[in-house]
Amino acid sequence: MSSRVLLHVGTPKTGTSYLQDVLFRNRKVLAQAGIRYPADRFDAHFLAALDLMRMPWGGLEAEAIGAWDRLAEEVRSHRHTSIISHEILATASRTQVGRALTSLGHDDGTEIHIVLSVRDLVRQIPAEWQENVKHRSGIAYQAFLDQIRDPARESRIATWFWGVQEIPDILDRWGHDLPPERIHLVTVPPAGGAPELLWKRFSQVFGLDGLDLDLEPDRANPSLGAPETALIRRINRNANRDLAPADYRPLVRELLAHQTLSRRRRSPRLGLPPDAYPWVNEIQQAWVDDVTARGYDVVGDLAELHGASPGGWSDPDQPSEKQVAGAAVDAITALLLENARMRRTEERLSAELAETRGALARSYLRPTYRFREKVVRRLQGGRVGRGMLRAYRAARGRSSRSA
Amino acid sequence: MQTEIEAGERRAWGWVAALRAGATTPWRDYAGTADRGGRYLPGAQQLELLRRLNATGRPGPALVERVLTASAPGRGRPDLQLVGAAEESAFGPRPVDPADLPPAELVRVATGLIAEDLVAAGPPPPLPPGRPRPWRRAYRLVGDPWLADPIRAELRRRGRPPGGRLPTILVLGTDLGSMLADAWTARSFAEGGSGWREWLGGFVAHDRMPPRADLVTHARTWAQRVGRQRVEIVIGPERLPGLVGVRRALPAPPAYSADAVDLARRVSAPLGLLVLPDPRAQLLRETLGPRLADAPGGPLAVPPAHVEWVQGRATRMRDALLRAGYAVHGDPDALVPDAPAEGSTPDDAGVLALAVRLLLDHGDRRAEEEVSG
Repeated sequence: MSSRVLLHVGTPKTGTSYLQDVLFRNRKVLAQAGIRYPADRFDAHFLAALDLMRMPWGGLEAEAIGAWDRLAEEVRSHRHTSIISHEILATASRTQVGRALTSLGHDDGTEIHIVLSVRDLVRQIPAEWQENVKHRSGIAYQAFLDQIRDPARESRIATWFWGVQEIPDILDRWGHDLPPERIHLVTVPPAGGAPELLWKRFSQVFGLDGLDLDLEPDRANPSLGAPETALIRRINRNANRDLAPADYRPLVRELLAHQTLSRRRRSPRLGLPPDAYPWVNEIQQAWVDDVTARGYDVVGDLAELHGASPGGWSDPDQPSEKQVAGAAVDAITALLLENARMRRTEERLSAELAETRGALARSYLRPTYRFREKVVRRLQGGRVGRGMLRAYRAARGRSSRSA
Repeated sequence: MQTEIEAGERRAWGWVAALRAGATTPWRDYAGTADRGGRYLPGAQQLELLRRLNATGRPGPALVERVLTASAPGRGRPDLQLVGAAEESAFGPRPVDPADLPPAELVRVATGLIAEDLVAAGPPPPLPPGRPRPWRRAYRLVGDPWLADPIRAELRRRGRPPGGRLPTILVLGTDLGSMLADAWTARSFAEGGSGWREWLGGFVAHDRMPPRADLVTHARTWAQRVGRQRVEIVIGPERLPGLVGVRRALPAPPAYSADAVDLARRVSAPLGLLVLPDPRAQLLRETLGPRLADAPGGPLAVPPAHVEWVQGRATRMRDALLRAGYAVHGDPDALVPDAPAEGSTPDDAGVLALAVRLLLDHGDRRAEEEVSG
């Protein structure tokens, strides 16, 4: 049974992809230090979270069946510290939290710590809208804002947004059965700060200081600018009907959004409209007051939850068409290059297939083959012959009918 | 002296205890109290579902515990708190009076439990295929899947599996209104997806045909593969026996109410989190299907607003099939529905009533029988 489990439950867009990538690639180094990151694929904890919360995810859920129980079993079988990390765990219900903690040994004395990395809403709100767009949504930014500002919070978007972002509520669900010193908040430094500062905070809270870890990122979830997000949204609205989810992920989300459009760093960034700042500031102040009063372990500074004041505002619902056209040219170029690469692959495979067919045809023309074919045909014409063939095939140990 | 909140929490625990004992009193009318009976109060959705179960029948203790510890699967509103039971927090979703919850919220919780029941029950044993008859006709049966699948299975059982040397491709269809309902039904008993009105409305809005009901594409695809002469259109399943060389009638697909189909669709989503796609379809068709056979309510029908579109598309389909020159068995005009079919569209309250009945009939399994997620 694990003596200690560090359970990182969110929130999205707080450097979680980077953290999970580092933990996954450095499993051996971690294991030597007695820390288990139980994963046989980079998204193992994502699948486990889908399974725990019984959440469909564009067909991926079929790969998630039984994943949480397998993960919990691996954690329980380890004697020292284990780390679990996925940001969608933030939205788990109390019942699901209860099941998760029980399966990890909470009732049997395992020391469970909850880690929640948090970032100001000024950055989280546009980032969540962008994630929606990168998951095929065609919703306009203003409509997204209207939904999350609706006090009823009954829409799917609002339910999800607040489920993974409302820090006091997440901690109520995950932490109600744990002492406050076992709940750790990692704040994301403001934009423009030292890039390694967030990692230092993660390293501190997960006890990774002093380990020789490879920190070069393999995977990241880079952000897009306002015109680039507007372009993806338009593509969604136009192509969703015909583009299957299995094709959308590699072509739109990966090739266009992550590998191409995220490189355009000079376009205006997504932000909050100026009239949303007072509303956001009020919420964040209430969160900071509440979290401060609860006495959790804070790694970083809760003051960082107050987002930066409004700078330039670029409305992604009414983007500069010139900038969108620039992004579209980059997107077309990327698709052309990808298409060219696939054509070369297709040509190579066609050549290989033609060569194989030729070799097969040549083997058919060999006199020995033609003789054997003639013998088999003659034997199949009579009962005795068929019996001999059956005996031959049984003796040979496999079917030769196709030969 | 206890505070108002403490009194509210004691009242909530009292309601939980009363519901466990079979009470049907709504939360707003309940006045009893009890001590805390667990780590946390079950959600309003779970408690209201249990109250509905109590109002309809007598759920056993295992089912009661399963309901109280269930979480609604998938995305949607989280487990909600009872209004008046706890201090009004500035955070999290607002507490609710459970009686005000829409039926769809209760159906979400119920479908997760029904999916577990299906996995626990497993599929019925497969019927052995009949010994292949050497003189059977070579055929392949495609087209409306809801009509074709049980016929194909029956023919296999009678020793007449599809395939053979140079088979005739039989493209089976019926009036387009029924084929659309069949397509959504087949989808609901497999991968699930969106509701009837949303699904059909999407095709109407874009003037497109769902692949399962698109006879023209079925026929064209096969014609490109085997040649037009070997593709034949069959309008109405009653014409099939002669074409596949059998005398006895072939089975009709099961007829379900609109609410029953919609419940299968909703169960499909959580079931997909427990088993792989093929067993999911098998469990829905072969284990859930028989349980829904006598569900009350009218069959699925195209809403009147879309009838004109259906007639227009059916006319185009008929003309395209005739123009392509396929052999046609039956009256091609029968593809075009001449009037709105009698029937209904799914209704959340009806679906909930059906889900409650299924849970009462099949959900009272002992804890050790339960399926782990």
